[in-house]
Amino acid sequence: MTRATAITYRASHVSRILVIARHAFTQLVRMKVFYFLAVFAVIAIGSNFFDLPQHEGPESMGINVLHSIKSWSLGAMTLFSVVLSIVATALLLPKDVEDRTLYTILAKPVPRFDYLAGKLLGVLLLVFVSLVLMDILMIGVLQIRTSMVMAQQLEMAKALEWTPKDIESVKLDVLAQGPTWSLQGAVFAVFLRASIMASLALLISTFSTSTLFTTIISFLIYFIAHFQADARSVFLHSGEAGEGKLARMVSLLISLVLPDFQNFNVIDAVIEGQTMPLLILGKLTLIGAYYAVFFTIASWFIFAEKEF
Amino acid sequence: MKAWQRNGILTVALLAFGAARMPYEAGVAKDLRAANLIPEKLEIGTIDKIGQTSSAVALGGLRTLVATFMNLRAFSFFEEQKWDDVADTYNMIVDLAPHTGYYWDAGYSHSAYNAASYYINNSDLPPLRRKQAWRSSIIRGREFLEKGIRNNPNNWNLWASLGFLLSDSNKYKAFRDPDKTFAEAAEAYRRAGETGRALDYVQRSEFYSLARVRGREKDALDLGRKLYADHRNRVPTLLTLLFVLEAWADPAMDKVAKAVEIFGTPEKAYEALSAHLQRTRERFPVHGVHETIQSLEKLLKISADKSILNQPPPADIGPETWFTK
Repeated sequence: MTRATAITYRASHVSRILVIARHAFTQLVRMKVFYFLAVFAVIAIGSNFFDLPQHEGPESMGINVLHSIKSWSLGAMTLFSVVLSIVATALLLPKDVEDRTLYTILAKPVPRFDYLAGKLLGVLLLVFVSLVLMDILMIGVLQIRTSMVMAQQLEMAKALEWTPKDIESVKLDVLAQGPTWSLQGAVFAVFLRASIMASLALLISTFSTSTLFTTIISFLIYFIAHFQADARSVFLHSGEAGEGKLARMVSLLISLVLPDFQNFNVIDAVIEGQTMPLLILGKLTLIGAYYAVFFTIASWFIFAEKEF
Repeated sequence: MKAWQRNGILTVALLAFGAARMPYEAGVAKDLRAANLIPEKLEIGTIDKIGQTSSAVALGGLRTLVATFMNLRAFSFFEEQKWDDVADTYNMIVDLAPHTGYYWDAGYSHSAYNAASYYINNSDLPPLRRKQAWRSSIIRGREFLEKGIRNNPNNWNLWASLGFLLSDSNKYKAFRDPDKTFAEAAEAYRRAGETGRALDYVQRSEFYSLARVRGREKDALDLGRKLYADHRNRVPTLLTLLFVLEAWADPAMDKVAKAVEIFGTPEKAYEALSAHLQRTRERFPVHGVHETIQSLEKLLKISADKSILNQPPPADIGPETWFTK
């Protein structure tokens, strides 16, 4: 194969994947999945009203509401993105079989890997667009409320004749709870976790017999994956606690097979106002990409030989 | 390729992939834990108490969301004045979201202030039981707050709250040794200031607490002089305590001259020192105050019937009177 042919071949791979991705995205959008955005808007706006009594000093007035907006919004984002990524992926293959679209596609010279990668990319695009829209809503609500809290604080500072140093300190405290780059990093971490789940659901759907089976198994794995780090800890430190061989083997198996989602709980720290370093986000991205690539290749490995 | 061969290869690949990523993931988890970016594991008690559904949600990566819901539940308990339930709920909340200062502050306030006040007025209990419940609530609030500080040592608000609780004239009597309590309050305020984020009043509060510790007058005076150098700190309480400590350091000084130097005019000095004499519940030192007031009364020609020294002292309201009947 000449270099020019190789480039053309790769380009046709990419264009095929993109066509399938676009089709999958359109297919999912037509299922009216974006309706949930209305629910999210209600949640984001509703979280504004959980303004419980203030216990801290006046300098912290209103900060709790900002925390509440972030907590509700990111919680809803996590829930929506995970549900969307699992259910949408679990639905795609059986639906293509049911509509007989799959036979039409595979009858053409479309490599099965391109088909799977395209489908996954379509789901990820959907999740990404959904998260971007939710993020815009959250940031909008948070920005408005932060400005209100800031104005309230500055008015109080003026009335109490606070020093510029004190005003600066209060400003920093308020801004730390408002829209920050770390918050954007947390939203991206939500996307990464959803991506892992989508690629895992894709792997399961290649050998599963129904959408329901894929969905249930994927959700089970999602919850168990939050304990993977504990299993790894049991395996790595089993000598110290004196666990038996069986416990050690089980913990090793869980550690090797399931993804570790505890690292993604960094989102909670960001909601609490902490800063997420860029390096950490880079490491999480690497982990997300590693899982997505492996699960997609594994899906292709099963799907390549599957007969329809 | 046969199905069993394919499945075998996939299983081996899955295990090899797991083995390859395990050290990396363990390293990232270690970094995150060191940076306090991932919370500790939920306590078994918390998992039991928040219920199956909430546990599943919390363990599914939504801990702060569950904490927000629990906070609403705690508020209902507070409205119903179920103080043990309020305390239990806040223990669960802070296990779910240990770095949210608001929850620590709310939890301690409910115990040390709301529950404690409730027991002062609760006529259903005999006086001794009420006093014991009042004291226990304050101690429980303090312990909760100290746990919060251990989890968030850089949160100046929590340090300041501890200082506020320990130096509160309605609360310090819940602790055995007032000198030790005020010294601890001063230390808490000092630690709040050390974070570099605390507001100016925190340093003044450190001074007010330190001034009340018998045996630490010298330290208090040094701090008072330092604060006095900054004009923005010249508020009545600081000026009065500075004068009192100067009188302690040099009993032979010309007190009227010193008072005029600190307060500006004899009238202002008389007003401030008279008000200071009435603040009996705060246990502020009164070195040289009576003597200076007498001299100022002579200077300002204040008649004996109008003298603050001849006015009845304010009623002593506190645990000694709250729990007598």
